[in-house]
Amino acid sequence: MTVEIPKSLAELPVGEPRWVGRRVRRTEDAALLTGRVEFIDDVQLPGMLHCAILRSPFAHARITSIDVSAALALDGVAAVVTGADARAWANPPRSAPEGWGALCIAAEKASFVGEPVAAVAATSRYVAEDALELIEVDYEPLDVVEDPFAAMQPDSELVHEDQGTNVMMQRVFTWGEVDAALAGAAHTFTERFRWNRLGANPTETYGCVCEWDPMSLDIVVRGAMQSPSSFALGRAATFGLASNKVRVVGHAHGGSFGGKGNARGTDIACMLSRKAGGRPVKWIEDRSEYMTAGASQAWDRHYEATLTTDAEGVVTALVVKLVDDIGASGDGFGAISAAKPLTAFTGPYTIPVARYDLTLVATNKVPASPYRGMGPPPHFFVLEQMMDIAARGLAIDPAEMRRRNFIPADRFPYTIPSGNEYDSGSYERVLDEALDLAGYEQLRKDQAAARAEGRLVGIGVASAIEPGVFDWNAYAIVGMPQTGVPEGATVGVDITGSITVRVGFSHEGQGQPTLVSQLVAEYFAVEMDAVRVVHLDTASAPPSFGPGGSRLGVAITGAVLGACERVRDKMATVVAAIMHCDAGDVELRDGRFRVAGRPEVDMTVAQVAGTMLARSDLLPEGMDPLPEATYVWTAPGRTPADEEGRAKSYLTAAQAVHVVVVEIDAETGVVEIVRYCLVDDCGTRLNPVVVEGQTDGSVAQGIGAALYEEYVYGDEAQPLTASFMDYLMPTINEVPAIEKREVVTPSPVSPLGAKGCGEGAMHTTPAAVMCAVNDALAPLGVMAREVPAAPNRVWNLLRSAGTQR
Amino acid sequence: MKPAPLDYAAPETLAEAVALLADASREAKVIAGGQSLMPMLNMRLARPELLVDLRRVDGLDHIREEHGAIRIGAMTSKREVEQSPLVRERLPLLHAATLHVGHPQIRSRGTVGGSMAQADPAAEYPCVAVALGATMRVVGPGGERTIPAADFFVTYLTTALEEDEILVEVSFPVPAPGTGWSFTEISRRHGDFALAGAAITVALDGAGTVADSAIVLFGVGPGPVRAHAAEARIRGGRPGDELYREAGAAVAAALTDPPADVHADSEYRRHLAATMTTRGLAEAVQRT
Repeated sequence: MTVEIPKSLAELPVGEPRWVGRRVRRTEDAALLTGRVEFIDDVQLPGMLHCAILRSPFAHARITSIDVSAALALDGVAAVVTGADARAWANPPRSAPEGWGALCIAAEKASFVGEPVAAVAATSRYVAEDALELIEVDYEPLDVVEDPFAAMQPDSELVHEDQGTNVMMQRVFTWGEVDAALAGAAHTFTERFRWNRLGANPTETYGCVCEWDPMSLDIVVRGAMQSPSSFALGRAATFGLASNKVRVVGHAHGGSFGGKGNARGTDIACMLSRKAGGRPVKWIEDRSEYMTAGASQAWDRHYEATLTTDAEGVVTALVVKLVDDIGASGDGFGAISAAKPLTAFTGPYTIPVARYDLTLVATNKVPASPYRGMGPPPHFFVLEQMMDIAARGLAIDPAEMRRRNFIPADRFPYTIPSGNEYDSGSYERVLDEALDLAGYEQLRKDQAAARAEGRLVGIGVASAIEPGVFDWNAYAIVGMPQTGVPEGATVGVDITGSITVRVGFSHEGQGQPTLVSQLVAEYFAVEMDAVRVVHLDTASAPPSFGPGGSRLGVAITGAVLGACERVRDKMATVVAAIMHCDAGDVELRDGRFRVAGRPEVDMTVAQVAGTMLARSDLLPEGMDPLPEATYVWTAPGRTPADEEGRAKSYLTAAQAVHVVVVEIDAETGVVEIVRYCLVDDCGTRLNPVVVEGQTDGSVAQGIGAALYEEYVYGDEAQPLTASFMDYLMPTINEVPAIEKREVVTPSPVSPLGAKGCGEGAMHTTPAAVMCAVNDALAPLGVMAREVPAAPNRVWNLLRSAGTQR
Repeated sequence: MKPAPLDYAAPETLAEAVALLADASREAKVIAGGQSLMPMLNMRLARPELLVDLRRVDGLDHIREEHGAIRIGAMTSKREVEQSPLVRERLPLLHAATLHVGHPQIRSRGTVGGSMAQADPAAEYPCVAVALGATMRVVGPGGERTIPAADFFVTYLTTALEEDEILVEVSFPVPAPGTGWSFTEISRRHGDFALAGAAITVALDGAGTVADSAIVLFGVGPGPVRAHAAEARIRGGRPGDELYREAGAAVAAALTDPPADVHADSEYRRHLAATMTTRGLAEAVQRT
């Protein structure tokens, strides 16, 4: 039976919504903030051992011998594993592109600093780390592949010798008559950009407790991973086990942003457990391990972009050439980030044709991983700089440049050249609101006055799309074959009318448990605290991916409402039998089932559930008496990718305009953000408090990207930023108060009209801050082409402009 | 990230502490607030066999004025310094510098003596100690001695303390009335170690020209760097933008090879040192 998911708040079976769309305080926060949930490092199991991992000090070196005998002899050490064990028990993991995966422990050679070489399980982490010092490894250093352009040369040392090349993928995607557009353009602008490595830094690093039963060969992984179900499939594939032999218990964890889930460490802990006779082995990734060898680094990109316009500044073509340094292997799935720009390649603009010249290169750096936004943030940094370069070249105000090129509100659904379809939008209105919020005209006057005093004040106006509700088909070009990402929920009412919702996602902090409670409380007209949300392990959960790609809010809304609809339908059948009417005449409204034309009788949800479970005599014959239903939601209307990667992929397209004012200290190059204003449109806001929280955090990460965060490698690809001393995340001191407004254009295709909003401002903030920096620098005739715009870099630009005293 | 095996002692008297340090059979290290040492231990960059914790030793936690000086016990936390009315009134330069040290949590744990003994070249306190002409009181097996701050900081993470000596007190002479001061620093983020900074005092004579000054830089050398050339350049000069710029230029010219790291190359640090001097001098003169 098909289920109709409500597409707007008005379609919910209540008069006035009490919970959904309201500013609802998050129900899970008290337990999270007081530590009453069980985080992974809280787990203590009988006989549990602790793992420490020996890591390569070389970026590229052959392992000629390894002697673990002294470590094994140390009191308290239970097991040691090396690359030989990995070769015996594990397959190379899946990777993107396929075939570039590396074993969890280096067997023949190490390919980046920090790659696991051996590991110890001992009675404490202290003993385990002592034992690491007793392992003797002989290395024969190899030439290090540091630079992606050198890596592409035929004589380069190879990271993966069996591949015969360091080029993981090289393809040119052409969408439309690009050559004709380039030839016929009135104006052509070309520029190069550099986006340096940065990445997710959740409050808590990854951790796991693994058990590998040596008899049954079942594996149980308790861990702090973003997607338990994907993680379970990955472990099964790596160890060659049936998928139902791996059970993953996802623990509540302190954020992810793409960085949660260290497969190598998990696989190592599993192997140590097997060697130690099945004893549980805990591995807690420490911050240095995370920063140098975890899922910490993303987007190491060299760009060249060309943008053409007609005489009026309407953009006629966009060509982006990207060389993306993926690092030592593809199992971090950083390559997905190079594919995701296809979902919104031309941003919020009507650019009719585009080309993407994409090269993925292997080097001796830690494998690239996902990070919030998954690739479009650097792409939009480039696109928005190009829009400003064109605007400056044509003497058009940057806000007006956007306005001229926005997709008009009456042209949705709108298919972009790279294939995705945007569902809805009101881009010009969002711009107008943002300019009004910022007082844009006055800002420009103030800027002119400041410039007259010799001050470097800049205003950035940038807009970007947030593709929401990810779909695997968006990543088809790097080897992801699926279409659709199912997310399930089970809604059950017990004999007393209490409602429990069982879900497969783990608790990551974005407020989804609150959202589930809001939805069910609304649907059945009960209080929110009457709804209990239970997180299941992968052995019992319905199909689920969990959070990622700005999807879970929308997806879980679809799943929960679908399950509610099914429970309602089941209950309506019971009510119809009791009331001797047609089920079609039974309506659920404000928590009561009523019968058309008989206002004097009704039944509450609790009464119906109680009847189903305790009055079988009243039920129709053959009736399933369980007041419970499961629904698995997957985005409607998705299409498999064609040869050029084009697909209807991400379901929703949120949009935002940010207006940023910066001032650059002309003597030191320090950039200060003076004002930060933004207006966003992510459709129906299911809980505005949560949306605003996502926005605030995302702006902070965007500011980090624009001005602070960078993983630096020195000679021989040695990491130089291995702690928070040198890897600089912005703090409350560096993030200004954010002035916000909203526009709401509901999605016509998603549950309740909501759009993905979890990655949010990260798409726009780096672009907007850099637009402001370059607006400030424009009178000097220099441009910041590299992020982060750290003070030393900006000072070098100022010096090159000859303004230094 | 766990320390290598080590022993831990928390003696209750200074004599016991010194005796533990003097015992040559074990390599011992003093721990105060642990804000630098604990990470070094956890990363196994420091591997003492014995940690001697001073937290139980009486008489190391005080701020008092005696004989024209503010005497601060080595175990006094920076938070106490920050909140001390005496420091704010008598040593405003030290108060201002304290606000740049990390964040409140770090200042609550970190101690005055710890910062001095750690001698990080990018840290604020050693620079202030040199600028104000502080004196370090240290205790060892042979008794007590004092070391002028200018002689105390030897090079990177190295002081004039012997291995069996403990810094017990820092004594800051109260500047003469009318002394101008400034503390300027540029760091990547608020609370980070400095890329470059300057602690400056300046006194004008009756004619309004510079009678005396102390210009001490940090973050640009192996320890606090006294800018003698700049001080000489401005002595007798008339305060003004030109003089301040000349002082900055003198600093830039005199700095040999400032350190380079991922945040600032050598040239940039040299430039920042000059800029901090120029700006800091202007600010200090305003306060005369």
